[in-house]
Amino acid sequence: MLQYIIPATGLLFTLENILWINIGVFVGSVFAAIPGLSVILCVILFLPVTYTMTAIPGMMFLLGIYCAGGYGGSVSAILINTPGTPHAAATMLDGHPLSEKGRTKAALKIALYASTFGGIFSALTLLFLGPQVARVAAQLGTPEYFMVCVFGLTIIAGVSGKSMIRGLISACLGLLIACVGSDPMTSYDRFTFGISRLYLGLDLAVCLIGLFALVEILAKAEKRLDDLHMDTTKIKDDGKITKSEYKRMLRPVLLSSLIGVMVGIIPGTGASEASWFSYSQAKNMSKHPEEFGHGSVEGIAAAESANNAVTGATLIPLLTLGIPGDGTVAIMLSALMINGLNPGLSLFTTDGDIMYAIMLGLILVNLFMFIQGKFLTTIFAKVVSIPQEILTPIIVIFCFAGAYSINNNYFDVGVALVFGILAWVLRKLDMPPVPILLGLVLGNMTETNFRRALLISNGDPSIFFSSIYCIIFLVLIIVAVATIVKGKLSEQKKAQTVAVAQEEE
Amino acid sequence: MKNWIDRFHTCIDAWGEKLHEKELRIPVDLTVGVLFLLFALFIMLVMPQQVAVSEKDVINGRAFPTLLMRVMMICCGLLIGKELYKLLTKRPLTWKVINLQVEVKALAILAILIVTYVVCRITGLFVIGAVVCCLGFLFYFRCKKPAYYVITLVIAVAIWAAFRFVLGVDF
Repeated sequence: MLQYIIPATGLLFTLENILWINIGVFVGSVFAAIPGLSVILCVILFLPVTYTMTAIPGMMFLLGIYCAGGYGGSVSAILINTPGTPHAAATMLDGHPLSEKGRTKAALKIALYASTFGGIFSALTLLFLGPQVARVAAQLGTPEYFMVCVFGLTIIAGVSGKSMIRGLISACLGLLIACVGSDPMTSYDRFTFGISRLYLGLDLAVCLIGLFALVEILAKAEKRLDDLHMDTTKIKDDGKITKSEYKRMLRPVLLSSLIGVMVGIIPGTGASEASWFSYSQAKNMSKHPEEFGHGSVEGIAAAESANNAVTGATLIPLLTLGIPGDGTVAIMLSALMINGLNPGLSLFTTDGDIMYAIMLGLILVNLFMFIQGKFLTTIFAKVVSIPQEILTPIIVIFCFAGAYSINNNYFDVGVALVFGILAWVLRKLDMPPVPILLGLVLGNMTETNFRRALLISNGDPSIFFSSIYCIIFLVLIIVAVATIVKGKLSEQKKAQTVAVAQEEE
Repeated sequence: MKNWIDRFHTCIDAWGEKLHEKELRIPVDLTVGVLFLLFALFIMLVMPQQVAVSEKDVINGRAFPTLLMRVMMICCGLLIGKELYKLLTKRPLTWKVINLQVEVKALAILAILIVTYVVCRITGLFVIGAVVCCLGFLFYFRCKKPAYYVITLVIAVAIWAAFRFVLGVDF
């Protein structure tokens, strides 16, 4: 590891990288602070910008957005009781009540400190654990890799929506869309329907702009136009946190960071699960559980450290196995692969200097997030009140410009529009879009490994159950499916009980 | 002009109120099951024309899409079976309520997006499309503040300029 650290440090500490980290952190904080704009949307919109960059500045920019998004979501949660991102919902429970008590600055400060600690803890875990997992991943062959892909897709299909079956249909749809274009092994045309431009396949970023960004524009039809006016006079307290409050924050921050890392490593589970789980753990372990929901410093610290501790951990399965931990890092995979960096052990050996620069960069991202948070929170707070009339056309222009810039043609803009309409229809049918994203990202890898494995075995499917790793992944898939189904059934039961109780009332 | 716009808004509001009361209830699981079953069958049907293969290939380019469509059909079968079982046992189906007003508003937004795309494509000038897009949305949101028009248009042109001159995108 040490042999890579020194060259990696040299690669990382350049003016260009520092600049892109700061731009990413700023953009991520601003986007996440605005309710309705998500981190994934921000990463999608700015992904085309990274296509012209080399791996390190490109990844630094995207990681800046990703990490700062974790903190930015808490700003609106604390100020206007509306989480900027879904994972800031747990922060809102105590952040806003503390703000109502006249301690807005203190609440924002606690969120920032906890986020920074969680983020750095997670980055260090990635630095030390990533290469070890990559060594194990190096022992996997094509059938094992296919099973890994199936494992990742199954979990994400299971946890993404209300129904696991609908999630699986979405995943199949995503994998099928990834088949459009030339066959990865024979280069024959597939599903081009006479459109010659489709021979090159569909660009991931273009599809994502439609699936995640343009659909949000269409979703404006579901909401009433209500300007979220924020009273900025609220941020007038000194933001002082007492010694006893610091002491009380310590244990939940440590425990939640650990929970965040563990949750983040599992594909399909993300910051929202980590923050809710940590919040309830912190409440159970607190000496003052009665304060939770009324402005508890422990509550804010637990939720925020957990959702930022997920950031580095989700990169572990991504960089070692190519399995994205969540939708946002799935997009980062394409940014890596466009620079010829493929997940696996080679990423930590052949391209070790670049990889370690990215991992060390994640620590730097968290430090810059802390600095910007310390000095620019007032600006982040002001963007909460940007009216929809201005925001909506700007996002559309970004979407169109981003889609066009990938290949310098309007065909891609049209494809993005088609995907936007498709996503709208799927939304109406309660079909989750994240498994489609995973299908698109993992499509090539899944198919190539599936076909190579069958070629080795001369078409015998028993190859997928032949090695110990295959069996381990098969068991993991069965356990995961059983757990998800069990969870969904108990959720349904609870909902039925509530409905019956309401009817009786 | 102002009167004309006000009358237009009043007319739209009256129409919108009528639409707001109209709802469409669809059995969502059954619909998804049938729709994607048909989709999978269609893909299986067009596969021979759409995916060229060589006879020498042991595992050809159709193997993976075929596997996917089979999985999709099994999932659809499960969804349909579940809903039919509910029908037989007289248990409530999974319904989704679709409000017509929302859908009409979504169509209006989609029209703005399509017009923007067409203007960009015909003129070949992205900046004109961007201006049309801004005006379309400001009109959609019934914005009456001149400052918003100025800010939005300035930002739109700035985005175009950033892509054109900083990132070197030729549009």
